[in-house]
Parts: sequence; C-alpha cells; structure tokens
Amino acid sequence: MEHTDHSAEHTAEHHEEGHGINKKTIWVTFGILSALTLVDFAFFFNMDASMSRNLIFVALGIIKSYYIVGIFMHMKYEVKRLAGIILLPFGFILGLVAALLYEGDRWSVIKWFVE
Amino acid sequence: MSESVALNPNSAWNGGKSPFGVSYGKLMMWVFLLSDAFTFSSLLVTYGCNRYLSGGSEIKWPHPDKVFNHFPFLHGMDLPLVFVSMMTFILIFSSVTMVLAVEAGARKHRNDVAFYMFLTIIGGIAFLSCQAWEWSQFITGSHEGSSFLVDGQKIHGANLFLNEYGPAAFAGLFFIVTGFHGFHVLSGVVLNVIIYVNVIKGTYDKRGHYEMIEKVGLYWHFVDLVWVFVFTFFYLI
Repeated sequence: MEHTDHSAEHTAEHHEEGHGINKKTIWVTFGILSALTLVDFAFFFNMDASMSRNLIFVALGIIKSYYIVGIFMHMKYEVKRLAGIILLPFGFILGLVAALLYEGDRWSVIKWFVE
Repeated sequence: MSESVALNPNSAWNGGKSPFGVSYGKLMMWVFLLSDAFTFSSLLVTYGCNRYLSGGSEIKWPHPDKVFNHFPFLHGMDLPLVFVSMMTFILIFSSVTMVLAVEAGARKHRNDVAFYMFLTIIGGIAFLSCQAWEWSQFITGSHEGSSFLVDGQKIHGANLFLNEYGPAAFAGLFFIVTGFHGFHVLSGVVLNVIIYVNVIKGTYDKRGHYEMIEKVGLYWHFVDLVWVFVFTFFYLI
C-alpha cells in the first residue's frame, strides 16, 4: 500500500527530494551569496569608479543570480527544457540591457539633430 | 485517426504528463516572473540611459555614496552603503528562511514550515521598514540642502520635480525603481501571510502536498534576485 502511494506521488516528489536540496546546500549557498556581497563592498571601497569596476559589479550580480535561480529557485534540478524556455529569454533581456546601455547615448545625438 | 498510430497516454504529446516536469501553477509562476523581469529590466535600462545622458549636462548625476550614507540613530556620520547592505543581508536571509520552508514542506513537516514562513514574513517586514526609513531620509534630505537648481533658494530633500542631490530624473527613478521593488516585497509579504495562515490551518496537509510554498517561494526569491540588480545599479555603480 505504501509502495503504491509512493509511486503515485513519485513524479511530484522526485525533483524535491532526490536532488540534494538539503539544509547544508542552503547554508552553503547563503555563505556564497554573503561572500559575493562582501566582495562587492571590497571593490566599492578599494577601487575608483570606472567602467571596469561597473563590469565587475554586474559580473558579480550575474554570479549571484546563478546561485539564487539555480539553488534557491531550484532551476538546477528542473527538466532542462524548462530551464531552456525560461533562461533563454532572460539571456535576451541581458543582451538588450547591454545593447541599450552601450548605445544609450544615441538619444543625445538624435536630440542634438532635432534641436 | 488511424488505428495504426499507437497512442501512449504517458507521452507529453498526448497530455499525459507535463513536458517540463512541473505543475501548471509552477510553470505559470515562472512565466509571470519572466514577464516581471521584462518590466524591471526596462526600468533599469531607463535608469542607465538617463544617467548616461546626464554626463554632459551641468547638473551632475550624484554619486550614490554621497546620497545614501545615513544610518538610523547615527546622525552626522558618513556611513556610505552600510544601511543598504544591511537591507541586502535582510533580504538574502529571508530568502534562506523561505527555501528552508520549502525544504520543510518537502518533508511535510507542518511546524517547521510554519516557523520558517514566520521568519520569512518578519524578514520581509524588516526590509519594508528599512525602505520606509530610507525613503523618508531621502525625501527629508540633509540639513544643509543645496541650491544649485534654484537661484538663491535652498532645496532640502527631494520631490518629483526638484531634489537637492542632482537631476530631477535621479529622484524620479529612485522612487519608481525602489518603489516598484518595494511594492513587490509588500505583495510577497501579503502572499506569505496568506500561505502562513493556510499552513497553520492545515490546508496543505489536507491537500497532501506543500507545493504552494514552492510557488510563493519562487516569487519571493525573484524579489531577492531583483534586489541584487537594483542594489548593483543604484547603490554600487
């Protein structure tokens, strides 16, 4: 009886129990996120503002988001297809943000033409 | 339909199971979060473009560690980033308690779920209180004020038209970006309270699974994820 119950709920529970989200993983991830935030502060206080420092901050943000999405939001343990359809558009968003920031001054050129 | 095609009811193509291995609710939560990410990235792009464009104008974009350098009860001290880093750690920690609640839900341990949900709610309320203080500090402004926008007349703090820190867009974007994020935190706290009450009532024990915790958890982690980027763009860069 217990065995049949288990197999009925197998698909629902499989991704929760089988793939190593346990308390240890959670606390290790918390440690990593805190350490990365402290690295942020180290760069903030020890480096002058520059484009390379901004890129370091963005890179650290992306690493942090890998841990939040991968471990906390469980994406690392989901079916690859799900990760694909959700993360691919996220990649497009990042590309758009980068493109708009890189060529954002185009607005000022257009404004200058209009005026 | 030809009889020669063998239909396998367990195949994803026949609706036998989810091709993504998740329930409908969780899949839709992911799609919602994706659309929310569009909104937030558009706000951050607006921030980036405005800041970039202000480079040539006479009113300089303020440096964040000159604006956000206050801490409650410590008047007149220059403490850049201390308060906002505390907010960051509060939010990361509430994310941890949320994922601990999900983990307890997988074990179907009602008391543990309730305990960690309670901690998550406390974390969310703490973050919102910090943000309220930050906003009031920003709106009230410094004692000295500044007069570089209006001839001879001093401005203290900020409103939607003028602020003592820099271009009007700076305060406007601060209000919309952190306000929109704060509103997400508020909605998250409300959802968490609803889930907490349901856990206490034993709704999920009757239902047989604690998947609802995972769905709300996804939302809560997303709010944390957005804060990582708001923090990076607004306070660090």
